[in-house]
Amino acid sequence: MIPVLIGVSIIIFLIFQAAPGDALTGMMDPKMSYETKQKLRKQLHLDEPGIIQYKYWVQNVLKGDFGESFYFKQPVGKVMNTYIWNSFYLSLASFILSVLIAIPIGVISATRQYSFMDYFFTVFALIGISMPSFFFGLLLIKWFAVDIKLFPVSGMMTAGSTAVGFAKFKDVMYHMTLPLIVLTLGSVAGLMRYTRSSMLEVIRQDYVRTARAKGLREKVVIYKHALRNALIPVVTIFGMWLPGLFSGAMITEAIFNWPGIGPIELLAVNNRDYPLLMGINMLLAFLTLLGNLIADVTYALVDPRIRLK
Amino acid sequence: MNKKLASFAAGLLAAMMLLTSCGPGKQTETKRKDVATVEKATNPAKLPDVSKNRKDTLIVGTTAPSGKFNPIYSDSVYDSWVVSLVFDGLISNDEQGNPTPLIAKEWKISEDGKTYTFTLNKGVKFSDGQEVTAEDVAFTFTAICDPSYDGPRTDAVSSLVGYKEYNEDKEGKVKEVAGIKVIDKYTISFTLTEPKAPAIYDFGYGIMPKHIYNFEKGNIKPLKDKFLSPVGAGPYLFKEYKAGQEIVFEKNPNYWRGEPKIAKIVMKVTNATTVIQELTTGSVDIDSVPSKPEQIDLVKKAEFLDIYRYPSNSYGYIGWNLRDEKFKDKKVRQALAYGLNRAGFIQAYYKGLGDVCNAPVSKASWAYTEDVNKYEYNPEKANKLLDEAGWVKKEDGYRYKDGKKFTVHWMTYTGSKYVEALTPILIENWKQIGVEVIPELMEFSTLAQKVFDEQKFEMYNMAWSLSIDPDPSGIFSIEQDKLGGFNSVGWRNEESEKLIKEGLKETNMEKRKEIYQKWVKLANEELPYLFLSYANDTYAVSAKVKGLRLSPFTDWTYDIHKVELQDVK
Repeated sequence: MIPVLIGVSIIIFLIFQAAPGDALTGMMDPKMSYETKQKLRKQLHLDEPGIIQYKYWVQNVLKGDFGESFYFKQPVGKVMNTYIWNSFYLSLASFILSVLIAIPIGVISATRQYSFMDYFFTVFALIGISMPSFFFGLLLIKWFAVDIKLFPVSGMMTAGSTAVGFAKFKDVMYHMTLPLIVLTLGSVAGLMRYTRSSMLEVIRQDYVRTARAKGLREKVVIYKHALRNALIPVVTIFGMWLPGLFSGAMITEAIFNWPGIGPIELLAVNNRDYPLLMGINMLLAFLTLLGNLIADVTYALVDPRIRLK
Repeated sequence: MNKKLASFAAGLLAAMMLLTSCGPGKQTETKRKDVATVEKATNPAKLPDVSKNRKDTLIVGTTAPSGKFNPIYSDSVYDSWVVSLVFDGLISNDEQGNPTPLIAKEWKISEDGKTYTFTLNKGVKFSDGQEVTAEDVAFTFTAICDPSYDGPRTDAVSSLVGYKEYNEDKEGKVKEVAGIKVIDKYTISFTLTEPKAPAIYDFGYGIMPKHIYNFEKGNIKPLKDKFLSPVGAGPYLFKEYKAGQEIVFEKNPNYWRGEPKIAKIVMKVTNATTVIQELTTGSVDIDSVPSKPEQIDLVKKAEFLDIYRYPSNSYGYIGWNLRDEKFKDKKVRQALAYGLNRAGFIQAYYKGLGDVCNAPVSKASWAYTEDVNKYEYNPEKANKLLDEAGWVKKEDGYRYKDGKKFTVHWMTYTGSKYVEALTPILIENWKQIGVEVIPELMEFSTLAQKVFDEQKFEMYNMAWSLSIDPDPSGIFSIEQDKLGGFNSVGWRNEESEKLIKEGLKETNMEKRKEIYQKWVKLANEELPYLFLSYANDTYAVSAKVKGLRLSPFTDWTYDIHKVELQDVK
């Protein structure tokens, strides 16, 4: 895992170095003189070659210090910590909701292949996959926030609210509803299609026929024998979902002013804030690897054929 | 200009921000009308109940600030709003941009224009009860001189006597900046190495209490650690910051200019996509609105929102590389100006909410003059000038000189509606006068690098956001013509250089005005840029908010302690 992370860090750093301009290029304030800019560049080591900058970065990381964000002038860890949990709450809620909705629908679609329900959900899935989140988000705001005033336009809490405990939770959920719908619609569709096709494959297997032949009830056949096997490929997707829980949804978060990490990443790219960008990307790289590991382990749990000795 | 473009193109509006703190207002109604137009709400009774019931809280929409809530670090407009609510500076400015007293009740500039002596008001207190003294002022400016200071304000102090000695001494031997002298508890003087007229505005930065922000020379970290707990002598107390969501302020009951009338202010993060919805549902009381007729119509339909409009302190332009043979000739530059239907473009893009720009100075500035060549669209004149310059039209409709076709590679940036609207007009108009334009789109940072750091371009377009002082030396002085400098077009004009220097030295306002108006006329004649457009800033304000003074040089935080929330019937 460590060599992979080192490789990832080098590649990200190189790509980032290749981007034109640096953290000060975009600062076009005629009141900021050339000398001041050069002085700042020197302070941030931006006047040195990329490889040296990488050296500084690695040296600090080995000391457990991811550096200070150029844009926020605060330690990278602190900046990430400020925003990443907001993304996590939203993504986690969306993940749970997606699983709860998608898997039963996938199973129903598969067991009643080519039925009205199957077609209905297929169309639904297509809509979900094709609907651009910025458009759907705005549509929901227009319908539910402006026209019938059921939900707030944006934000994570009522402005100036000092609520704590359950009242705060309720307030956050109330604000989360619309972005949650947008995110869930996008992910339900994909997950449901995976479940369906995986399920279809399994239903045709001999052991399913055997189970039926034993005279087991259809429910038991489907949910105990078939579903467990069908879920194995789906679990891989859960593993891949782990980095997604922390990476934030750039567009959805931006539209609903959800204070997540997504827009911060974009800001880091636009401002060439490489300590921050490296911090976020390294975390995501780590989580991706961890996700794969977890997926492998979960295989063993869900697949009766794999047993770790 | 949309929010995103503005924040990019304007780079960081740091320059503008220091001007946003409060100052005693003395303007009359008639004078105000020059700077901002207000369209009153037609039916304030339509105010939604949520807003009606929110009697002690003002909610202002903002783009997410970066959390650098410190007078010497803030580098976006939004961070600076926070700073101006919490901190007061020595001086402020009025709606025309003239400096006005704030914590300093008066100041004197020495005969040679190098020494500024400020006398502080007595009894001004920080919100923790300690009095503001000359020591705090000295601390604030010395902090900017610190060797470990990595913020954007260095230019405010780099011309102080003793700055270099203090800044370059890493061992801590030099304890003070020689040019900053505390004379007594309420008097302080600053001495510059050479006269610099705009320097007065550098004293608008908020004063920090030394007993809270103090740090050892060479290690500014303790000060940075206090970004999120700012304390100053301003009208509001900083209560809570939820990153990316909101900032909550409570009034400072002991504010030295009188207790603020609104108990609580919340700056709520909104975005350009949903700002109209936030306003019309009453979730925010004040927010900037894109200056587009469609958007403004939506605001008007709500009937309970006042609309404030004023020229923004910025301009859009096309820069051409004056080192390039084609653009060296003034006649060619003027021909290209006559040959572009700028009024048509501005009408198409701003639909009446923008103006043609003819000189590099804001319409709102005291240095502005109408007495310039307007370069109204005139293809015949453009053709005549190009003929005179030796560019001959051939059968293919394009002009040639010495066997070379008049082709311009125009670098511009992606993701901007402004550019999208300009592109077809520019290509079509110039084709008619025999000039071929090839646009090249790139990301903004890439463009900035090519234009300023490498100077590899023929032509590009961008916008400048100006500071309150019209001094153009940061953009047009010969000294800035170097890699990384802002005079990337390479304008080297002796007359301009002379006027710029004179303007910097002259501290008499009337004389400065004359100098800059002369310079403006020169720039208009020489066209170092093809000046394009002035945008308008538009704010929608709930009818229940009374006493707001928005102008190009004063934002909503200006005199905020006098602003009230009133019941509407």
